Amino acid sequence: MTNEQTASSAVLLKHDGSIATLTMNRPDARNAMSVEILDAMHDAVDAVRDSDASVLVITGSGRAFCAGMDLKAVLIELSGDPDMGERLLTRLAELTLKIRSLPQVTVASVNGAAIGGGCGLTCVCDVTISHADAKLGFPEVDLGICPAVIAPWVVKKLGAGVARKAMLMGGVMSGTAGHEIGLVDQLAPNRDTLDSLTSDVAHRLAEGGPKALSATKNLLNQLDGSLDESMVMRGAKLSAQVLATPEAQAALAARMKR
Amino acid sequence: MIEFSTQTGVSVIELARPDKRNAMLPEMLDQLHEAIKASHDALALVILGQGKTFCAGFDLKACAADPGGETMRALLTGLSRCVGAMRDHPAPVVLGVHGAAVAGGCALLGGADVVIANRTAKLGYPVVRIGVSPAVSSPYMLAAMHEGVVRARLLDTELIDGSQALKLGMIHELCEETGDVRHRTLEIAESLASKPGSGCKATKRWLNEICSVSGERAGAGLNASLELTGNDEERARLAALWGAS
Repeated sequence: MTNEQTASSAVLLKHDGSIATLTMNRPDARNAMSVEILDAMHDAVDAVRDSDASVLVITGSGRAFCAGMDLKAVLIELSGDPDMGERLLTRLAELTLKIRSLPQVTVASVNGAAIGGGCGLTCVCDVTISHADAKLGFPEVDLGICPAVIAPWVVKKLGAGVARKAMLMGGVMSGTAGHEIGLVDQLAPNRDTLDSLTSDVAHRLAEGGPKALSATKNLLNQLDGSLDESMVMRGAKLSAQVLATPEAQAALAARMKR
Repeated sequence: MIEFSTQTGVSVIELARPDKRNAMLPEMLDQLHEAIKASHDALALVILGQGKTFCAGFDLKACAADPGGETMRALLTGLSRCVGAMRDHPAPVVLGVHGAAVAGGCALLGGADVVIANRTAKLGYPVVRIGVSPAVSSPYMLAAMHEGVVRARLLDTELIDGSQALKLGMIHELCEETGDVRHRTLEIAESLASKPGSGCKATKRWLNEICSVSGERAGAGLNASLELTGNDEERARLAALWGAS
């Protein structure tokens, strides 16, 4: 039985048996993290937590998975609100903690660009699926900003040494390169085959006993310190401080004009 | 024994004892530490070796000639201080391994943020063979690689090549040719130095906090290596290596 449930138009939430699928749905904005989309994701994740689903798939509509923070919102000269950056980053930090502590196993199905915070979101998930031509990475330093909110999750996903290189060097990489360093767990050869691979993996995961899955996930969360909220929340403050510097604002403004 | 230069925000430190494969002496590590400190204003720091290989590790001939073990102790202490200073350096540290990074030379990788090596480079910590404990390196390696990998690398005396080191996360990028390492290392450093604002430094500082190597842990590793220094096993093995009495 497929049960279409629309939490809000910014995010679509679908339940199909024990598999829930959350789709970020602002394709014209490459699903960038605006207040609207982050609020809608919080609501959708809350709904999934209380549902019978044992697997949650997160994906994006259109060509991008998620382009990262909404630059229009964090550019002070455009938003006119110097506190918007910190509010968004705090909301993102809370969302990552909420997703990580879900009893459901989470799968990121990276359909296209997963950039900055969008790529961080994939690292919060338990399993990441993508395709060879997707673009993933952490170009924050290229804009003079600091990926502090997502850094703890990237370190857990990649290991500290590889995460250090990926976040300090910036830029983006292909899905294939992401697969080589452990950012992507399962790689489809192209976009056309991603959905069937995602479905296969989600159904295989959903075969597990829900109690066994959530107990295992909870244990892994305890072992790797995922339930320690302080690092991620402090990351939001630090990220916001760097974001507000004149150098970072100038680099962001230059990027917007491109 | 150390050469140091700075150009357009990139500081370059070179191990400069090429006729001895850049084998480390205590005064060389003192100079290295001073150079790392002196480069604190740089936007990126590069560490390279001159000659045919990056670094062969401690100068064991000097260690064998000092049966009291003072040379070995000074080397272990100097190495720990240098790796800590690399990690604490405000800017990213890029290290290029050409040819070989062995024992103490390989330990320097633990302080670097980005490591490049050529495909056939030899890397490893074959120091238990001479009765020395690589404990001094372990806190920094554990902050960079998976625990299982670190155990195998520190206890097994095997040297691995660049390809395998990439798979294990010991290095981050391969060059096909030995001669390409220097160019690529400088290129990465220049790219890092050209990034705007304080994002890179803030990110390094934050990563150091997330995956911190506390002074206490670094000290415990050094002490474990120091405690073993001067024992009969080490003296006998070093003497055998150099045919000394």
